[in-house]
Amino acid sequence: MDPSKSRDSAESTRVIQFPNDVLERILSLIDSHRDRSAVSLVSKAWYNAERWTRRHVFIGNCYAVSPQIVARRFPNIRSVTLKGKPRFSDFNLVPPNWGAEVHAWLAVFADQYPLLEELRLKRMTVTDESLKFLARKFQKFRALSLLSCDGFSTNGLEAIATDCRHLTELDIQENGIDDISGNWLSCFPENFTSLEVLNFASLSSDVNFDALERLVSQCKSLKILKVNKNITLEQLQRLLVRAPQLTELGTGSFLQELTAHQYEELERAFIGCKNLHALSGSWEATTLYLPVLYPACTNLTFLNLSYAALPSEELAKLVAHCPHLQRLWVLDTIEDVGLQAVASNCPLLEELRVFPADPYDQDINRGVTESGFLAVSLGCRKLHYVLYFCRQMTNAAVARIVQNCPGFTHFRLCIMKPGQPDYVTNEPMDEGFGAVVKTCTNLRRLGVSGLLTDLTFEYIGRYAKNLETLSVAFAGGSDRGMQCILDGCPKLRKLEIRDSPFGNGALLSGLEKYESMRSLWMSACKVTLNGCKMLARQRPRLNVEVMKDEDMDDGQSYKVYVYRTVAGPRTDAPSFVHTL
Amino acid sequence: MGRASAKDYSPSSSSSSSSPSSVDCSKHKNRTGASLSFASSMCQFSGCNSGCSSSTRGGRTRRGDLNTDLRLGLSIVSPDAQRDNWIDPSASKQREQRQDWPPIKSLLRTTLAVAGKADTSVSNVHNNNGDRNASLFVKVYMEGIPIGRKLDLLALHDYDDLISTLAHMFTTPIAYPNGDRADHAESLHVLTYEDREGDWMMAGDVPWEMFMTTVKRLKITRSDRC
Repeated sequence: MDPSKSRDSAESTRVIQFPNDVLERILSLIDSHRDRSAVSLVSKAWYNAERWTRRHVFIGNCYAVSPQIVARRFPNIRSVTLKGKPRFSDFNLVPPNWGAEVHAWLAVFADQYPLLEELRLKRMTVTDESLKFLARKFQKFRALSLLSCDGFSTNGLEAIATDCRHLTELDIQENGIDDISGNWLSCFPENFTSLEVLNFASLSSDVNFDALERLVSQCKSLKILKVNKNITLEQLQRLLVRAPQLTELGTGSFLQELTAHQYEELERAFIGCKNLHALSGSWEATTLYLPVLYPACTNLTFLNLSYAALPSEELAKLVAHCPHLQRLWVLDTIEDVGLQAVASNCPLLEELRVFPADPYDQDINRGVTESGFLAVSLGCRKLHYVLYFCRQMTNAAVARIVQNCPGFTHFRLCIMKPGQPDYVTNEPMDEGFGAVVKTCTNLRRLGVSGLLTDLTFEYIGRYAKNLETLSVAFAGGSDRGMQCILDGCPKLRKLEIRDSPFGNGALLSGLEKYESMRSLWMSACKVTLNGCKMLARQRPRLNVEVMKDEDMDDGQSYKVYVYRTVAGPRTDAPSFVHTL
Repeated sequence: MGRASAKDYSPSSSSSSSSPSSVDCSKHKNRTGASLSFASSMCQFSGCNSGCSSSTRGGRTRRGDLNTDLRLGLSIVSPDAQRDNWIDPSASKQREQRQDWPPIKSLLRTTLAVAGKADTSVSNVHNNNGDRNASLFVKVYMEGIPIGRKLDLLALHDYDDLISTLAHMFTTPIAYPNGDRADHAESLHVLTYEDREGDWMMAGDVPWEMFMTTVKRLKITRSDRC
């Protein structure tokens, strides 16, 4: 520590310079990319030390930066997380072939990061060629995670299994892929032992069970195994006895006739998995064998039943065995009575997601209501993350819920019928969401729904000072609503709006804001091409991209995607995407 | 417009505004998750008559013209005139289900769709205890009464069972073809049903098992209409 090395030092403020290697040593302990971004802003020396020591880069929008710029700044990257399409592409609002291709990135990485070990992609387009390229070019490659990606088939997975000698993680989740065959699993070499994570739950083709069994036996470090629904209970038992060290398990279907002996063996297999803390599966409705899980449930912290339409009684019995549950994902077949069981049995619950089992059915007494949500808020005081699909809600219930659980960080309420008011008072849901933002000062993510006027957005703008992500659909009354958001929420990063009456005035009121945000999405709103052009003209560092909705004939039906970028306009935009 | 107080609404009650019969409640409790039924969801997308749309929860009635709501498919109920001027983009696709709402991911959407289709083929799934795991709830309306009831057809054995259950539910005698009850000769009502092709038929002509595979919903109509 040599004070004489400090530059810019006034008498009273000395910037103490560490020698570079000390600084780098310290900084190499910092993982969070947000912390690292903050570090890089301290001084030039710190910026340099940070960039040399960064091993993992997180790119939230693949078009905000180019692979060349990334490689120039960070020479020693070993792990990359890349996100592509706007989130509303999950709901078919983005036409196919929109972009977010990973190949351009891989080409640069092959050159600059030949020692790349991990690649995590979300909403990117990945082709089989890209997967083959990946398997061939990166000799030390270890972990591949593909979430909500598209463009590849199981043939591409064959290349990964065959050529990635040191693969520890293969995590294929919820992708729109061509599921040609399960042969890829058989492509792992005979003596393969390094796998720690294997998730092929969302693939539907049959894999060769013998190959799977051998793989599981040999990979002693396997911690996470999520099989697809073709794996039977009997097969599952055989896997479990070979991998009692599992911490996360995704079962196959629970649909099989078991003899008493087989049932006992399965039960014993589950008892043997003493480290299991997460469980998931695509379970069929017959629940005869659910009790085999009960011994394993004692240590469960995460239960994901979002593909299992189980009746409320069975779900209630199951959660009664999960006293340590922290995260629960279910279908709304759990009903209010099942949620009451959750409230009574899972006091440590922090996250609840309830998905609709019958998303198109509106006129029916099914699913969950405000009572279930209220019950959980009473019994689970640590609740801070909720995603709740329901058919009815009241302002009073929402206000009480956040009173019980003021620590909400993520509040995503989806009243499934657009524009539906408080079903008791018939008033808009303004006051309910107002209560949310007033009470939950740590709120980072908000999804609103139901009948909402501009008042909701006034409340959000005024009170939601930590809000980072806001999702709006079928809500608001005028431009003023969106203006309140853009004027008010200082930490806003992602704003996605659909089917709401916000027009050019609202769009342009965010001129000062958009460069501090990751992105803005607006579709089926009242924005016109001229408004977008005005925005683009005044803010050259934003990409203002417009897609015309082919279904609509009038001039107002545009999808607008605005995001900050240092890479300039897209060079790979398809014909239906116009960068203004 | 009608307002229901919170205590009037209880999730397990039937959609009728009359007090729920014990038949309905117990059936509801036994219903398992097997019923990811699309039978009732098809109702809102067909240009069905007013009887269908008025089923409400907790007595809440809707604003606006019900027929317009139905034509729009996914209706947007709102007092805001500006909003009413929007045509829901799905209006042209009223017979399809929206792929972009509610906001669930594609994998879940297709998984549920497959499960729903499997359920409408009425298959009795028996577990080892012989308990019935499946159910087939259909809506039942009586002409002139906007609020309908729901009935699990799988809990019934044959037409006689169906008729007597309905007669009890709606407290009116009902006639059907081949019914040999002399006292029903005077009954004002007959039982009709909508089949998979959308046609309204008199109940009782086809064998019970065949009826079960084709029925979507029931209506008790005045006999002078048939």
